[in-house]
Amino acid sequence: MAVGEERARNRRGIRGWLNPYHYNAERWAYVFQRVSGVAILLYVIGHLGDTSFFVGGPTGTGPSASSWAFIGSIFENSFGHLILILVTLILFFHGTNGIRLILTEFGLIFKKPAAIEYPYKAKSLGSGQKYLIAVAIAAAVLAALWAFLVLFEGMG
Amino acid sequence: MKESRLMLIQYATAVVAVVLVSVHLIMQGVIYPYSTAISFSNMLSVYRNGFYAIFLEALLVIVLVHGFNGVRIILHELRQSAPWTRWVDAGTVVAIVAAVAYGTRTIILAIFGGVAG
Repeated sequence: MAVGEERARNRRGIRGWLNPYHYNAERWAYVFQRVSGVAILLYVIGHLGDTSFFVGGPTGTGPSASSWAFIGSIFENSFGHLILILVTLILFFHGTNGIRLILTEFGLIFKKPAAIEYPYKAKSLGSGQKYLIAVAIAAAVLAALWAFLVLFEGMG
Repeated sequence: MKESRLMLIQYATAVVAVVLVSVHLIMQGVIYPYSTAISFSNMLSVYRNGFYAIFLEALLVIVLVHGFNGVRIILHELRQSAPWTRWVDAGTVVAIVAAVAYGTRTIILAIFGGVAG
């Protein structure tokens, strides 16, 4: 591979995240961890904005029932609740998958080194990591279901 | 600060954030029904409870440090140069300080501000 070609290949940036060629479950989890992290941060910034209306918004001086009712009239509807369910889904995946990544970072869920054998599968990507990705997906789905019941069925 | 220490901060804030966010969500849909949790009177009592006010401030700081430091890490992965590193690091600090200040302002006004109808 030419030097220029190799350099371009190593500088694919965000396009590189989303290229599915030769991706495995761990690589997709890596991509989703970053995408979901940015999405959650954007939600948190928006949440700082909407909760500030509890005290009258950016120019408020104290708790205001009318200001809080105003922001509630914008976000407390089916669309707003669907957004909250989506946020719950990605939040739980991000949190659970993040714990897997921390365990990986400290070498706690790697397989032990072994002789290299065909077909040369990476020993680091053992079943432990795949199970934890499945747990992360399950946790996210269950949490989203719980959020649905709380928001649309009045349970909680 | 060394990058290895910043990564440790990222992991530590992640673990703490999992606990704090879980408690925050439980307060919205388990301890109280959602409609009660977001009612004006309930939120006022939550903000004016010293323990919950400290909890919300801790949640604010931990989540914002984790979130903006995470974006910083992503931006460092995407591009590497000395000026880029300096600008991204400085921007991260400014973003954290600004966001924490705005969130803290909400908490302080909710505790000490006069209640309007």
